[in-house]
Amino acid sequence: MTSSFFAEKEIYNGLLLSRTIILQELINFLMDYFLELLLGGLTKGSIYALIALGYTMVYGIIELINFAHGEIYMIGAFTALIAASILNMLGLGQITILILASILAIIYSSAYGFTMEKIAYKPLRHSPRLSPLISAIGMSIFFQNYVLLAQTSDFLPFPSLLPEFEFLQPYRHIIRSPEIFILFTTVVVMVLLTVLIKFTKVGKAMRATAQDRKMAMLVGVDVNKIISMTFVIGSSTAAIGGVLIASFIGQINFYIGFIAGIKAFTAAVLGGIGSIPGAVVGSLILGCTESFATGYVLSDYEDVFAFGLLVLILIFRPAGILGKSSSEKV
Amino acid sequence: MLKVNNIQTYYGNIQALKGITLDIGEGEIITLIGANGAGKTTTLMSICGVVPPKQGEIFFRGTPIHNMTTEKIVALGICQVPEGRHIFPGLTVKENLEMGAYLRTDHHGIKTDLEYVLDLFPILAQRRHQQGGTLSGGEQQMLAISRALMAKPRLLLLDEPSLGLAPLIIQQIFEIIRKINSEQKTTIFLVEQNANLALKVAHRGYVMENGTITLADSAANLLDNEDVKKAYLGL
Repeated sequence: MTSSFFAEKEIYNGLLLSRTIILQELINFLMDYFLELLLGGLTKGSIYALIALGYTMVYGIIELINFAHGEIYMIGAFTALIAASILNMLGLGQITILILASILAIIYSSAYGFTMEKIAYKPLRHSPRLSPLISAIGMSIFFQNYVLLAQTSDFLPFPSLLPEFEFLQPYRHIIRSPEIFILFTTVVVMVLLTVLIKFTKVGKAMRATAQDRKMAMLVGVDVNKIISMTFVIGSSTAAIGGVLIASFIGQINFYIGFIAGIKAFTAAVLGGIGSIPGAVVGSLILGCTESFATGYVLSDYEDVFAFGLLVLILIFRPAGILGKSSSEKV
Repeated sequence: MLKVNNIQTYYGNIQALKGITLDIGEGEIITLIGANGAGKTTTLMSICGVVPPKQGEIFFRGTPIHNMTTEKIVALGICQVPEGRHIFPGLTVKENLEMGAYLRTDHHGIKTDLEYVLDLFPILAQRRHQQGGTLSGGEQQMLAISRALMAKPRLLLLDEPSLGLAPLIIQQIFEIIRKINSEQKTTIFLVEQNANLALKVAHRGYVMENGTITLADSAANLLDNEDVKKAYLGL
């Protein structure tokens, strides 16, 4: 009788213990899942941020929504793909290929961005605001079809160029090496851009031109040069985004710029269009929202949540999260 | 120094300047007075190349500038303080001043001039790290003049520096204008609605009406002129 009593108690204790363990496991699992979603969201947000910068900077300086900006990102990805294929035949290492392909992508995208501004927007600088907007949509359609004809309509495989880090192996279920690499690259780009805008002469001229173009002219700023520069910088960051995401997902086609462009535009509006920190914050929030919506609700609802968030922001804070508080005195 | 020869300027189809001829000598303070909409600001914008004239010529120290872009004209040494001051609102006071010296590369000279203007307007030294948009109207006008001085201009164009300011501040600013002219030997072209004040600091003056110059004389004579008295001095 006593023995059975002890046995019962032991079983009871055992059950209690296993229940704690299971609970612990569950919590661990939920935590890991949460972290995985969060980091995935941040990664996605980083890519959006690299594209959104171009939207927000161009808007800040000439008040134009450059709808062809997503296509610049797509052209960056395609340039990198072609460059990587050629460099791969030469037998170069993975990191070398990544760096060279990125540089080529930056150069090509910048050239397209620069030319686009000269052809499609500069002649319309003094027209009503609707004209350059329509011109931008035209450029977008043109670029898509140009790549469609010059390349193909199929999805093309993109080599995975992003490095694998050994030390991340134990955390594979939470974050993968490419994601860390994307996050790190984005942070570096953001820091460089901040330094450029805050502390260099060009950066100061860009801010001055954005705030008061006529006065910038009157202190001797070559406004056309500054506007071109803005397009080149925006195109460069978009190209970096294009290379990273293509290498991460592993395939590209001529249409990727449209979707990414719309999302990045949403992020820029979310954060407050015209504001550079706003674009970054908006992008990260958008990326995380999508990630959590996919992870906790339903993957089909990703876009519903993303654009739902946009609608809410536009209703309750139309200037965006970090939108300009006007400190101007007349 | 500056010769404006019969310029005609249009906004679209509307003719704003109907043949303006001006002559500004080295070291002078010249004023241009006239009512609202006479074309005073347009004259300045034409000189700076922001609204280039359709016809006529402008020479600055013998160089034709009527076909030049604004940044080239600024590089020659013509600097404007536009109406409404146009401070860069998101830049700090110091950054605003640095923007004034945008085309200069002599770092040592820029530093000396920065000290000079902060000495001229001590309030700006206090506000050095504040954003331009947060300054009061008078402070903004001081900043606008200082920013122009940072370019070390040979010819300084001032558009309505007294607009919207308290009488005490206006007096202070006109004092400084005289000081800049006598100490730095900067030639000054002053556009004003406050004719009384402008004619008191200027050496010579032009009176403008409907896009044409109607009178040109020494400032003292203009102050005594019956028509000017009636139309612009309110006497």
